[in-house]
Amino acid sequence: MRRVLPVAIVALAALFGVALAAAMLELPPHAVRLPDDVAANIAASGVAHPITAVLLNFRGYDTLLEIAVLLLALFGVLALVKPHAARAAHPAHPLLQTLARLLAPLMVLVAGYLLWVGAIAPGGAFQAGAVLAAAGVLLRLAGLLPAWVAPTLLLRVGLALGLLVFVAVAAAVLGHATLLTYPPALAGGLILMVEAALTLSIGLTLAALYLASTEVRP
Amino acid sequence: MTDWLDPLPWLIVLPLVWGTLAFVLGPGRGARLAIVALVLQMLLALQLAAQLVDAGARAYAVGGWGAPLGIDLYADGLAAVMLLLTQAVALPLAVYARGYFAATTKGRDLFWPITGLMLAALNALFVSADLFNIYVTLELLGLAAVGLVAIAGGTAPVTAALRYLLATLLGSGAYLLGVALIYGTYGSVSLEVLAPLITDEAPFAVTLAAALMLLGLMLKTALFPFHFWLPPAHGGAPAPVSALLSALVIKASFYLVVRLWLDLFEPLTTVDAAQLIGALGAAAIIWGSLLALTQTRLKMLVAYSTVAQIGYLFLLFPLATLTLPAAADSALQGGVMQALAHGLAKAAMFAAAGSMIVATGRDDINRLGGVGARLPLTLFTFGMAGVTLMGLPPSGGFSAKWLLLQAALESGQWWWVAVMVVGGLLTAAYVFKVLRRAFLPVAEGDSVTPVPRVLEFSAFALALASILLGVFGAPLMDLLAVGRGA
Repeated sequence: MRRVLPVAIVALAALFGVALAAAMLELPPHAVRLPDDVAANIAASGVAHPITAVLLNFRGYDTLLEIAVLLLALFGVLALVKPHAARAAHPAHPLLQTLARLLAPLMVLVAGYLLWVGAIAPGGAFQAGAVLAAAGVLLRLAGLLPAWVAPTLLLRVGLALGLLVFVAVAAAVLGHATLLTYPPALAGGLILMVEAALTLSIGLTLAALYLASTEVRP
Repeated sequence: MTDWLDPLPWLIVLPLVWGTLAFVLGPGRGARLAIVALVLQMLLALQLAAQLVDAGARAYAVGGWGAPLGIDLYADGLAAVMLLLTQAVALPLAVYARGYFAATTKGRDLFWPITGLMLAALNALFVSADLFNIYVTLELLGLAAVGLVAIAGGTAPVTAALRYLLATLLGSGAYLLGVALIYGTYGSVSLEVLAPLITDEAPFAVTLAAALMLLGLMLKTALFPFHFWLPPAHGGAPAPVSALLSALVIKASFYLVVRLWLDLFEPLTTVDAAQLIGALGAAAIIWGSLLALTQTRLKMLVAYSTVAQIGYLFLLFPLATLTLPAAADSALQGGVMQALAHGLAKAAMFAAAGSMIVATGRDDINRLGGVGARLPLTLFTFGMAGVTLMGLPPSGGFSAKWLLLQAALESGQWWWVAVMVVGGLLTAAYVFKVLRRAFLPVAEGDSVTPVPRVLEFSAFALALASILLGVFGAPLMDLLAVGRGA
């Protein structure tokens, strides 16, 4: 039995792989050409970069729910943390501490740049947030930040801000249009505002996933 | 429609906001906010249902772009019925949970934020008309459910949560692979755009996608033999969580199976595949009921009962696939009625079980003596929920099983009748196993302490609703027909 099971699993996986390959080989040309649609509407989207336009405008609703997914992941981690288990930060090597002190402001600067450049080039809230979070992880590793096992009110506001701002912008137009319709004249500004709030919250959430989960105890 | 109070977007926005605000308020806070918001959500769901009955099914273009560039929502009778079920189960359970977490604080800290986001995911899922957006709602729902299983802490719940997480991720992974294949074939993920494109001559990739998506969703619904993750997850969580998970979360993936099978993939469905799904449902009914009978822990018994009751849901497919239209109609009505009846009754049953466990201080069927004398209303609630699960008149469970029986006879598939009869008898057996113990006097050395009245009344409201569903189910069945061609 112990021998048969892995063999059966490998055989099934191989069969599935072959089926998948066979399916991919005979894919017909697309009936719907979404990239053309995106190109045709990008002028009205408020940003010039197609990925940002899709993420924040055309399919902004998906992004809105994904921000909720991210927050939820943090709730899951916080549920597993025992608040009294928080350790004080290990004092790291002075060289690492100095380096972290130098790098962290630069990383905030890079995050701001990535956020701004998202309108015209690859970048945006997720990338900027990831850099912010990396700064948080670096500071923790250098022993300069405490663990976030029981987020304070200020931190909770920061974590929730992105989702709340996004929902507020989405719902603000409900009197005149459908959910998440940006008025064309304001689209660029509103997207920047949403992305700024998202950058902060994504950065804090990703950092918190690390800063809380290092304290998980079985 | 651009009315400020259009219920469709608010049903998604409201729980998203109150869940997030409950987190900002702090650990354990947000119960009152949740209850007020849930009253509003109930009214919104009723308003939406009334609109649909008057004006028919409606699409809603989020962002104003319209499919395929943007994401569309679509509300028809089926979606509205599920929205009503969700709010109708969540509101009494929120009242129950507020009392429950006043009595036992274990798992209280993050219950309200996670529940808020979970309800947003459910409402968003029911009205989504976009395959990728559905995936996002599934992830939101799955992570919320896993988080709720883990909130009690401790080795057993966290192990159950992790097992649940792996199962649910595998399910969404399979679903997502299917979505990728569909997008690769047609270049769109909008249900409205795809529906006319998918015919019985669709390429092999679409058949593979359909199989992957349906299998993934069945894993998430815990259909036999994919039920392995359910009992420890539902049986180990705090009672309000078990109730939410059993009543609502598994219904969401079932709803998607129904949607995909009856609408999008309808040209690809075959009698053989439908019979196979029905056979898994039948196996679930028998196996789940037998295992429920052998349990010694009350909540595990109720959890295995869920495994069995899920089986009835899937009898819909053999009865509705390539049979007479009349049989197919009763089958859909029966399947949906079963989802509603089981949702209300199982929420009531887990809530009542939770009260009994709080009162006796342990989760043990053999130590329930005295519950009948001290908590008569709770025991009555458990019994009433049992009546619905057994399918006795006049309950909603009776209507469900009656409609399914009718469909089985009309389509000449008598073998499902036999399964349903045996399932009903086994259900009676495990319900009476609990009732018999609870009517015994208090055993030597045991004590039964009273529980807050609010725990008893909120659970009773759910059980009463599951019975009344049988008497007043007709308007819901009219609502179900909205947007379904026939």
